[in-house]
This record gives sequence, structure tokens and C-alpha cells, in this order.
Amino acid sequence: MKIPPTLSTVLSNLFKKPATNMFPKTEPVPTPEGFRGKLVYDVDKCIGCKLCVTVCPAGVIEFVPEIKKVTFWLGRCVFCAQCVDVCPVNALEMSKEFLLATYDKYDDNLRWLKNEEIEEMIEAQKSK
Amino acid sequence: MNLLYATLGLIALYIYVSFASLLWEGIDRKLVARMQRRVGPPLLQPFYDFLKLMSKESIIPKHANKFYELAPVLALAVSIALLAYTPMGFAPLFATKGDVIVFIYLLTLIGFIRVLGAISSGSPYAQIGAQREMIILVSREVPMMLALFTILWRLNNIGVEKPFSLATFYQRNIWELGTPLALIGTFILLVVFLAWLASEIEVGFFDIPEAETEVAEGPMAEYSGRHLALFELSNAIKMFVSASLVVAIFFPWGISAYVGLNGIPALVVDVLFHTIKVFAVLFVSMSIFRAITGRLRITQAVQVFWLRLFPAAIIGSLILAIDLLGVIA
Ligand code: SF4
Ligand code: SF4
Repeated sequence: MKIPPTLSTVLSNLFKKPATNMFPKTEPVPTPEGFRGKLVYDVDKCIGCKLCVTVCPAGVIEFVPEIKKVTFWLGRCVFCAQCVDVCPVNALEMSKEFLLATYDKYDDNLRWLKNEEIEEMIEAQKSK
Repeated sequence: MNLLYATLGLIALYIYVSFASLLWEGIDRKLVARMQRRVGPPLLQPFYDFLKLMSKESIIPKHANKFYELAPVLALAVSIALLAYTPMGFAPLFATKGDVIVFIYLLTLIGFIRVLGAISSGSPYAQIGAQREMIILVSREVPMMLALFTILWRLNNIGVEKPFSLATFYQRNIWELGTPLALIGTFILLVVFLAWLASEIEVGFFDIPEAETEVAEGPMAEYSGRHLALFELSNAIKMFVSASLVVAIFFPWGISAYVGLNGIPALVVDVLFHTIKVFAVLFVSMSIFRAITGRLRITQAVQVFWLRLFPAAIIGSLILAIDLLGVIA
């Protein structure tokens, strides 16, 4: 029986540092340029053109006609960035945030324009 | 030594070995992790695993029979009983003439109880695992027994008090023979024993019955909770005992005589030194072997036992016998 070639590798590894990123204790591995993380929405820039609603393959985005804005729930987002590319006024942007785990699928972190906010905006429009 | 002291000794030994063997499992996992450039779990991880399993609900399959629940208890009971016959740096508690047979019987019985428990679970995965375990079981003990009996017989010839007892290793050891022929024979048998140890604790080549990537944990497929915890503990003790046997045969030297201790401190020092030797043997036979080799097929493993290890044991034994007869030189 010949000695397996892995023996020397394994023994020399024993004296090397582990090649591990100890995540919760250290920073996570840095995200590269152009990383597609959580979608960020700038309500004030949005002109309500509905292009993002048309192009989204996952049905994340919903148009709210009363205020001519969109609202979305990121629980379904597939991070394709189609909406970002198509938005004419750059109201949408992919951030670098990727630690999105929650206990509740309707977590505030995963939604833009919650119902109260929409109602507030409708009120504000009326009072104008 | 009267019966009371022996009982207390056995309890102390049981507590110590449970601790030491689980600690070694932690060290082993850490070492293998470092060999693969991982960080690995904390050293005390097997203790946490054990406590977690103990606190979990144990699920009994609908098709399991009565022996399913009995097997883990029996396995642990047998491994505790085995401790009374294991050389731990000093002569076994109940060492008598010929106790080597009891030792081999109890060691094999643990594997057999695992097989019975697996068959009782009524799961086809466990059945396949049990069949493999049985095949390995009948193959691996033959070279070991031949080698062990040869060594004991050879030691018997240079004069010991209790022939064929595991206590004899602490009176005379095999390196004392000194002749070149005896050294060659002993080295061959050492290799046989290291391979046997790896197959006894089922690592590397011989991880066949468990084979978690192939037949879903084999014999242990249906066990959970407390029952699994008992099996894990008895496996850990068995691992320590098997390695103790190898250490006792080939490296029986104690250090208490050199540092001039006697009585209880000498016993403690010898046990600790023995534990270090056990860890060293397990490092070679378990950690390194586990890190550098994959699993064999069951047919290949049987071939390794009958076509490699068994002839090696025969050759080693013959060399030792020839050395005694003095035909050459
Ligand atoms: S990134 Fe893709 S899936 Fe997510 S909202 Fe934009 S278009 Fe929809
Ligand atoms: S594409 Fe941009 S501007 Fe148009 S609705 Fe979507 S977010 Fe608003």
C-alpha cells in the first residue's frame, strides 16, 4: 500500500492558520463592486411611471394610483436589478446590505411605503 | 484488592474514561479541522452534543421491537464492564489468568449489540448498515486475535505471573525480547494493530457501516435523543479501550517508577501518562487516517482484512515463533 499523497498536505496544514473568516466576530467578506443587495427606494424622486412594475419578474412592486408612487415587499425580490436599470429617474438603487434575515416575513425592513405612510401621503394630498 | 475497592475503582475509571474519551473526540475534531484549514468546533463540543442529545425527545419507530430501547443501555453497560478488564497504565482491576478472552468477547459484543439494535429498528437503512457492520466485525477480529494471542504466548515464554492476562504487559513487554527477528515481527504486528484500531473505531477506510453520506448513518439511522447519546458514549469508551489495548501491548512503560512515586499518586500519574499515549496512538490511527483517506467499498474492506492484514499477522506471528524456536541465529 502506498502512502496517500494527501499526507504531507494535511500535516503541513496543521501548522498553518485556518483559512476562515470568523464572521460574527469579524466583518463579513467585503462585497464586490456592483453587488446587488437590498433594494433602496427614494420616494421623493419617483414619478410613478410604472416601468418598474412592468419589468419586475417576481411581482414585488405594486403601484398605488392615489399617490402615484410604488410600494413593494422585498420578501419576493430575486435581486435581478431590472427595476433599477429601467427606472428613468434613478429612484431605485441596489445597496450593499445583505443580512436580511428576520423572524417575520412582513418585517418593516423588507417593505417600502407601509400602509400608514400611504394613508398619510393621501391625507397630505387632500389637504393641499 | 477487595470487592468494594474494585467497585469504587470501576466507577472512578468510568467517570474518568467518559471524560477523557469525549475530550479526545473534541481534540480529534479540532485537529482534523486544522488539517483541512478550518477552525473547527470548540474542544468541549462532544460534551455539548451529549447533553443536547440527552435533553432531546427520543423517537421510537412504530416498527421497532423491544430490543430497540434495550440495545443502547446494554452497549453502554458492556463498555463499562469492559473497563474493568482494560489496562489503563496499571494492571486491569479484575486481571486474572486468561482474561484476554473476556476482553475480546466484550469488545466484540458492543459491535454485536449495535447490530442487534439496528436490526430491531425496522429501518432498511439500518439493516444495510447492520449487515456491513457484521461483515466488518467478523473480518477485523481475526488478524487482531492472532496477533494478540501470539504476543501473549511469546510473553508467557519469558515468564509472567498470570499467563494470557492483559496484566502481563506491565511485567514484561514485547520490546524486551531484543533480537532483530523479534523486532521485525513486533513492527509488523504494530502495523496490524494500528489498522485494526482504525477499523474498530470505524474511521478512514473503514467508515463503512456508518457511511453517513451513503446509507444515512447506517446502524444508527433510527436512533435519536437519549438512545443515541448512550450509543455515542459507549462508542467513545470503546474507542478509548481499543486504543488502550494497543498502547498496553506496544508502549506499556509507565513514568511513576522514574519520578519515584508510589501508592495513589503513582496510579494517577500512570493513568494520565497512559491517556497521553492513547491520544498519541489515536492521533495516528484516527485523526490522520481519517483526514487522508476516504471510505472503501465493503468488498474492498473485506479484502484488506483477509488479503493484507491477516497474512501480515500470520507473518508477524511466524517471525515471533521462529525467534523463540531459535531456528535462525
Ligand atoms: S430587483 Fe428584480 S425582483 Fe427585485 S424588485 Fe427589482 S425587478 Fe423586481
Ligand atoms: S420606474 Fe422608478 S420612477 Fe417609475 S414607478 Fe418605478 S420607481 Fe417610480
